[in-house]
Amino acid sequence: MSPADPLTQDFELGFTYTRSTGPVVGRFLTGLRERRIEGVRASDGRVIVPPMEYDPDTAAALEDFVEVGQEGELVSWCWVSEPRAAHPFERPFAWGMIRLDGADVPMVHCIAADSEQDLVTGARVRASWVDEPRGHISDIRCFELVEGGAS
Amino acid sequence: MAQLAAVIGTGQTKYKTKRGDVSIAGLLREAAVAALEDAGLGFDDIDAVVIGKAPDMFEGVVMPECYLSDALGANGKPMLRVHTAGSVGGSTALVAASHVQSGTFRRVLTVTFEKQSESNAMWALSTPQPFSVHLNAGAGGYFAPIIREYMRRSKAPYDVGIKVAVKDRLHGARNPLAHLHKPDITMAEVEESMMLWDPIRLLEACPSSDGACAMVIAAEDAVDSSAKPPAWIRGGAMRSEPTLYAGRDEVNPRAGRDCAADVYRQAGISDPRRQLNCAEIYVPFSWYEPMWLENLGFAEEGQGWRLTMDGATSLDEGGDIPWNPSGGVLSSNPIGASGMIRFAEAARQVRGDAGAHQVAGAKLAMGHAYGGGAQFFAMWIVGADKP
Repeated sequence: MSPADPLTQDFELGFTYTRSTGPVVGRFLTGLRERRIEGVRASDGRVIVPPMEYDPDTAAALEDFVEVGQEGELVSWCWVSEPRAAHPFERPFAWGMIRLDGADVPMVHCIAADSEQDLVTGARVRASWVDEPRGHISDIRCFELVEGGAS
Repeated sequence: MAQLAAVIGTGQTKYKTKRGDVSIAGLLREAAVAALEDAGLGFDDIDAVVIGKAPDMFEGVVMPECYLSDALGANGKPMLRVHTAGSVGGSTALVAASHVQSGTFRRVLTVTFEKQSESNAMWALSTPQPFSVHLNAGAGGYFAPIIREYMRRSKAPYDVGIKVAVKDRLHGARNPLAHLHKPDITMAEVEESMMLWDPIRLLEACPSSDGACAMVIAAEDAVDSSAKPPAWIRGGAMRSEPTLYAGRDEVNPRAGRDCAADVYRQAGISDPRRQLNCAEIYVPFSWYEPMWLENLGFAEEGQGWRLTMDGATSLDEGGDIPWNPSGGVLSSNPIGASGMIRFAEAARQVRGDAGAHQVAGAKLAMGHAYGGGAQFFAMWIVGADKP
């Protein structure tokens, strides 16, 4: 063997873990199982979705839950023209920041659209749910454009 | 150290097998809030936050300091994460102390944690490597042959480890926060427990715990917020050495001896057994009590086991130098926090705050942590009296 031909070996390392969501994120995920989207009111009055356990400004524990709308507006997006295996769609789609009605900050989810040309900041979108929600963020299959909803 | 610093608050969760009711952030939060309440402070009073945890692979959370800043009120403040394997709880406390001793900050919150029920500490600790045989050993498998070598060198009786296992569980039965409560434990019960890693039996090994420990460390001019007296930091030291090198003495590591000599020099201690009132020492496997008694200079080399067998380290036997009055790592082991629990329990002793496991009149106490292949050491000495 020459010095230019060093030994190599494939090396895969993996472990199993568990996560407890706690009372705040746990409540959000449980709500999804019932097709309900809940945020939490922060110390400055903003409604944050998905909810945070602790206030980003005051560190106070947050527990004032607020149900928000299933529709909202598109704040910004990133078009995925060539989806890969791990993506939620086989056809082109967008990752979007969606500010739901009643919420003060956008949340990230995927947007189903025929073409990037259909997307515009301020476009109205609506949650589309899977048939059997189980308490997971993917219970919302995606957000879809609301016909004639651009504002 | 330029500035004096003291522990003015400690906070711990109850240690349990599983805390499924809280997130990792929620677990830390309990300890942090308890420490702040003990210090008579709120998050706004804190200038910087220092956290520590075991290796990221244990829980699979990379850069946990980013995720945890909201829960610890660290947004807009300096936040630092310390990482020295099992000794991390001790070295995190020392980094937090140095933040104050340097004169940079007046009040620092420091928090360490582990959620073993959601982690994979056993196997993440002994990962397979390419071109090598995988031992699948875990921590006990690593330390078992070192313990056997101690037994050979010292000619200690076979049941020294069994005695330690009983003693620390009787101590733990006094501590409401301890994970294991075994007030009726016997030597026979330990001896009959399953041999896990020969010569370490199940009951001679630490449990797997969920929990967190926090402290507030303050500068000399900021110690009065707490209703309890401060625990003055009289010395702090860390030492490291490689896992393996030719001539390394794994039974009595050089880094541990050097670290102890350094911290004793700072605190003016020449005879730790006589001058200290108690010690919280990292003993995750029973035989590490006699081994560290020697490594830390409480006994001559080869004689540490005699202190254990004579009851010198036992509260219940009226020993002159109780070790691990809280029950120690053998009674609670949230790995990332275990070292800080030793440091915090030493502080509780000299503040007269240790409840049913208080060593009467304790004025000077030692906290100790070790990690990796017994290659990282962190120690401090705290006192009731201002230096």
